[in-house]
Amino acid sequence: MTHQIDARGLACPQPVIMTKKAIEAGKDCAVIVDNEAARDNVCRMAKSQGCEANVEERGGCFHIRVTRGAGRKTQESVMPATGPTVVVFPSNCMGKGDNELGNILIRAFLHTLSEITPRPDVMIFFNAGVKLTTDGSEVLEDLHTLEETGIRLLVCGTCLDFFGLKDRLRAGMVSNMYDIAETMLSAGRVVRI
Amino acid sequence: MTETTPFQIVLFDSTSEALLAEKLFKKASIPHKIIPVPRHLSSDCGVCIRFSSPDTARVRSALAEGGTFRDITPLG
Repeated sequence: MTHQIDARGLACPQPVIMTKKAIEAGKDCAVIVDNEAARDNVCRMAKSQGCEANVEERGGCFHIRVTRGAGRKTQESVMPATGPTVVVFPSNCMGKGDNELGNILIRAFLHTLSEITPRPDVMIFFNAGVKLTTDGSEVLEDLHTLEETGIRLLVCGTCLDFFGLKDRLRAGMVSNMYDIAETMLSAGRVVRI
Repeated sequence: MTETTPFQIVLFDSTSEALLAEKLFKKASIPHKIIPVPRHLSSDCGVCIRFSSPDTARVRSALAEGGTFRDITPLG
């Protein structure tokens, strides 16, 4: 089934978004755009999704045929894990080096996590990582979004207590070392931020 | 295309510009979110600041106080 997308007159990134949605819905598409930037962006995105993009120029417009190819990105290309995927947050920063940068990075990371697949099954917060889940955290909105998709958020109770944040938890559930250790040890993979 | 774009993003040439701009957002109490630059856009800085489209004028005046940025563009 070929999905027709007439993206003439639309500003970037609309043509790309429309095409991406069609690809994600499992459709091949015929996209019409009226400028070279849109043509290049649509083609680049299609290739990044493992599709073929053939362009024909007709009447001053570019007709791009996007075919979902054999190189299509699939879930199977992701390394299979035999247990849940667990992401651990030992700090309220992403990486070590500069805290201001680490703060920006972790916010961008958590925003991204709610937009991509595969998603983690469990997220564990300990040490200063618990500060991400308490009052005033800049990522509460993202954590709530992630919780709503069924991801379990385990927050170290000892750590909340240590930082005096026990009554300020705003996302996830208070957890203990048994749960945290068992979850990590029975994980298919553990991703440490 | 009937979708509206409720959000705009500010793009930067460097991460330090983004950090400084966020301080200006906070100073002006403009709700915002740090997000990665969408894959289909290119920028030398990997993060951008997302805000609600109706706040565009406030954002421009807040950033006029010493902030530098590359562009403000709708987030599709």
